[in-house]
Amino acid sequence: MSKIEFDRRDFLKVMGVSGVAATVAGCDMPSYITSEEGAEEVIPYLSPEEFVIPGVGVHYASTCLQCPATCGIRGRVREGRVLKLEGNPKSALNTGKLCQMGQAGLQTHYNPDRLTKPLVRKDGALAEATWEDALALIEEKTGPSSGLSGGRFAWLTGTISGHQSVLLKAHLESLGSSSHFVHEVINTRVWQAVCQDMLGQSMPRLRIDKAKMVLSFGADFLGTWMSPIHFSADYARFRSGEDRGMLVQAEPSMSLTGANADLWVALRPGTEGVMALGLANVLINKERMDASALPAAALELINQYGVSRTTKMTGIAGDRLIRIARHLKERSPSLVLAGASAAGHVGGYQSVQAAMLLNILLGNIDQTIEASGDFALPQLASVSGGTSDLSRFADAAGAGKLDAVFFDGSNPLFAAPNHLGLTEKFDSIPFKVAFSQFMDETTAHADVVLPMASALEDWGTHVAAYQGGDHEIAFQQPLMEPIYPGTRSFGDMLLALNSMRNPGSYDGLEDYYGYLQSAVGSIPGVLKGEDDEAINVSAWNRILQDGRLQMPVDTRAFTSNLSMDDMDVRDADPAFPYYLVPTPRGTLYDGRHANIPWLQESPDQISKVVWNSWAEIHPVTAAKLAVEEGDVITVTTPDGVLEVPVYIHKGIHVDVVAVPMGQGHEDYGRYARGRGVNPLKILQPGSDAKTGELALYGSRAALAATGRAGRLIKMGNTETQHGRKIVATITAEQQRRNEGDS
Amino acid sequence: MSLVRNFIEDWSRYRRSIDEGGFHEYEHMWGMVIDLDKCTGCNACSVACYAENNLAVVGEDKFENGQGMHWMRIERYWDEPNIGNERVRDTQEHGASFMPMMCQQCNSATCEPVCPVSAAYHTPDGLNAQIYNRCVGSRYCANNCPYRLRYFNFFSYYEDSWPSPLDMQLNPDITVRDKGVMEKCTFCVQRIRSTKNAAKMEDRQVVDGEVQTACQQTCPTSAIVFGDLLDHESDVHKLWHKHQTRLGTTKQKKDNPELRGYRLYEQLNTEPSVTYLERVRDV
Ligand code: SF4
Ligand code: SF4
Ligand code: SF4
Repeated sequence: MSKIEFDRRDFLKVMGVSGVAATVAGCDMPSYITSEEGAEEVIPYLSPEEFVIPGVGVHYASTCLQCPATCGIRGRVREGRVLKLEGNPKSALNTGKLCQMGQAGLQTHYNPDRLTKPLVRKDGALAEATWEDALALIEEKTGPSSGLSGGRFAWLTGTISGHQSVLLKAHLESLGSSSHFVHEVINTRVWQAVCQDMLGQSMPRLRIDKAKMVLSFGADFLGTWMSPIHFSADYARFRSGEDRGMLVQAEPSMSLTGANADLWVALRPGTEGVMALGLANVLINKERMDASALPAAALELINQYGVSRTTKMTGIAGDRLIRIARHLKERSPSLVLAGASAAGHVGGYQSVQAAMLLNILLGNIDQTIEASGDFALPQLASVSGGTSDLSRFADAAGAGKLDAVFFDGSNPLFAAPNHLGLTEKFDSIPFKVAFSQFMDETTAHADVVLPMASALEDWGTHVAAYQGGDHEIAFQQPLMEPIYPGTRSFGDMLLALNSMRNPGSYDGLEDYYGYLQSAVGSIPGVLKGEDDEAINVSAWNRILQDGRLQMPVDTRAFTSNLSMDDMDVRDADPAFPYYLVPTPRGTLYDGRHANIPWLQESPDQISKVVWNSWAEIHPVTAAKLAVEEGDVITVTTPDGVLEVPVYIHKGIHVDVVAVPMGQGHEDYGRYARGRGVNPLKILQPGSDAKTGELALYGSRAALAATGRAGRLIKMGNTETQHGRKIVATITAEQQRRNEGDS
Repeated sequence: MSLVRNFIEDWSRYRRSIDEGGFHEYEHMWGMVIDLDKCTGCNACSVACYAENNLAVVGEDKFENGQGMHWMRIERYWDEPNIGNERVRDTQEHGASFMPMMCQQCNSATCEPVCPVSAAYHTPDGLNAQIYNRCVGSRYCANNCPYRLRYFNFFSYYEDSWPSPLDMQLNPDITVRDKGVMEKCTFCVQRIRSTKNAAKMEDRQVVDGEVQTACQQTCPTSAIVFGDLLDHESDVHKLWHKHQTRLGTTKQKKDNPELRGYRLYEQLNTEPSVTYLERVRDV
């Protein structure tokens, strides 16, 4: 359909296939899926009118963009409106399932606070403008005649992959810049770095389903870590049958995963690595496990962390440590994970490294940690975000190194701690363009605001950073026509920006849809045979029906490099005796879902609070402060103060105060604005030395009662069952006796 | 002669246990199993139900007054009466206890007989149904529900719940309820309906797995199983059977008392259609 004008090498590059000869195994596309509503088919969104039958729903496959995991979705569409989202059963990642944020994708799309018209800053204030004016201004400031080039131009995005990433890179290249800041508060960068360094692959496959025991240092794999819906299905298998797996979770405050643990251990923040080394010590010295796989330096380090030292540093009783070690030895293969609360410290890398060392000692490599290989088309692979990019961005902006920044899919001004001083630095950048759906904190500071189509109105391709077995390209296709004619597709904008820089070179590509079809067509063996010129339309349609394109997996064995650094555990500051934990939760996530009414009214998984912020503290702490549930306390760090009502429970370390991320928006629409507090703001400076990731879990705080009662709105009036049999519990031993066959 | 035969036939029909549909000519007996060991308390089911069933978001003030409309709510308890309260020492060692709670579709529902206008009634599918346009808002049913899962429209919530264009998402297969009406989980009756209609058009029976409730469909761990208890090949029937729970009793007689199935508050003789499987902890 699209005629391509430019030369073949450039073409392949801009299509995301250069340098690879990946052929998709066979052209044997799966047959049509029938949906649950009787006989209708899952159809691609090609000529929607033909499928609008009054009163009959049809299903379109697409991709969930509510978090970076990119699960497959299917939208039920009736009379041209999308009414309900379900998981796409064809997706190897989420096999038909969705989380609550995924379900609520509908309310991002139909949100009453969407941006509908471009805005341009005039005399200090954002005012409505036409698309022509907005684009003309962008051309003036960043087009070929602007003189802008090199690192003075940058993109700041959230996690990005697929062909959007290819076009974004092409745009950067056209400006001679390589400044792409990829920002994600909830991320797995330190884990990826450790895997890369120790195993030679950054995203090995984690087989929770094959493990007989999982020891997780704060990896909230059922809630916010990596690919939670994929892991939830694995977890269900892990828990069933004769060999029901055992889950031990060690973390400072209870995550959703912790709430499901057989044994939940309250761990002093920052001592995750110490606990891992202490366990290794017990395994080697008490349980006599063979440690020949470990280098001498690692053994030397392990020997320094005997039971009494480990107990002293972590606060975990020695007999408990020994028991966990014994379980790990007996229940092989096991799996040791380390998540955000382990990684978010000055010595985060070392802690995660120690967890990986434990995996190696326990023989889990190639058992429950499997090599996954690289994505066959590296240009499409996920560029996963982190917080080191946020501080690098703040540095660049603060040093006056940036003249123009485009940003999309990220809200840095909301997420940046006060100590980065980002708002002032950001304002000092001369030209800032927001590609946004909402007036969030960052968008409010932009010079040009371009209203974007919602995820359910747009085309795209996505490659998950964590692939669940099969490697797949996930297809995002519109589930309906745009609600607002004034919004535009992000992909179309990327094409327009590229054409702006290289006039004429993208002429053959009518729109992003046309580009995607050509781009997918240029992947060998997908839409064309060896010498065919024409695109195989039915193959294309089937990809869109499935919402997925399976890619060949070129599995590469692990390499190993077992270096080990000593733990870096910082001493407490007596003026700030508590640790502040900014809890991530799969509800408001990093704050991006605070504008969704369903999620504001969805009770928090642990505290059951709705519509507000709260601070979790232990009953011992509450007694010290003489506060009761709902009383307001101040949480003070050297970088700021929060006032927030308390929720008191025992799923938290006595020295920890946990405040969930997500609330505290100054902007972001009627549901988010002026609600609760943002704990990210008052975090102290500090970052992991190896990766530069911010030490989100490393802040110290002082707590004080205000003497005021606050408002804590919760679902349910009781925390206990009062001895009734509501949730009954039996022991695993009883379960094993009776359910060997399931 | 035929009189006697009629009598015998009627009598045996009358005596037929509720497992077999009882003396009603039930077409289906929709039932559920929720495995509390698989349920992670994630809330996906609850939000899916909001999306499917046009549940109003009431806002913090009304939520504070107990007016949240969560047909499916995930209760969270900290204590563990079965493995001993004393185990909850200074830390929450075994995590939390989560309870997905929605209408238990009782077969001798305490809410039904108290309705002065019979707005709450039992369908030939074994569902506890609510006829919205018959409901006069006496709230007797909610008062009588031992599970507290009937939700009353004290206000016209729709006026504030779906500011445009949020209203475009409303499911046209079911209504938006107005002030004065009682509502609750329907086992996604609109999904049951459309599947039954489709089967009827094709002149066949509904097959197991064809009807999925919204909560079941999204549940990331597949903790929820739904189906027809009268269909002996259905997963839900097999699970009831395996865990030895049955309808028609206030106390399950089990060969093996360790089997995990139980019905919530069945001692009240409500005949719930939901079997929960006990949570498991490696202690
Ligand atoms: S985990 Fe949830 S929000 Fe993230 S992609 Fe999957 S369904 Fe969407
Ligand atoms: S969706 Fe499933 S796992 Fe999540 S709370 Fe509901 S029943 Fe439990
Ligand atoms: S069965 Fe349907 S109506 Fe009932 S709780 Fe589940 S989703 Fe809601």
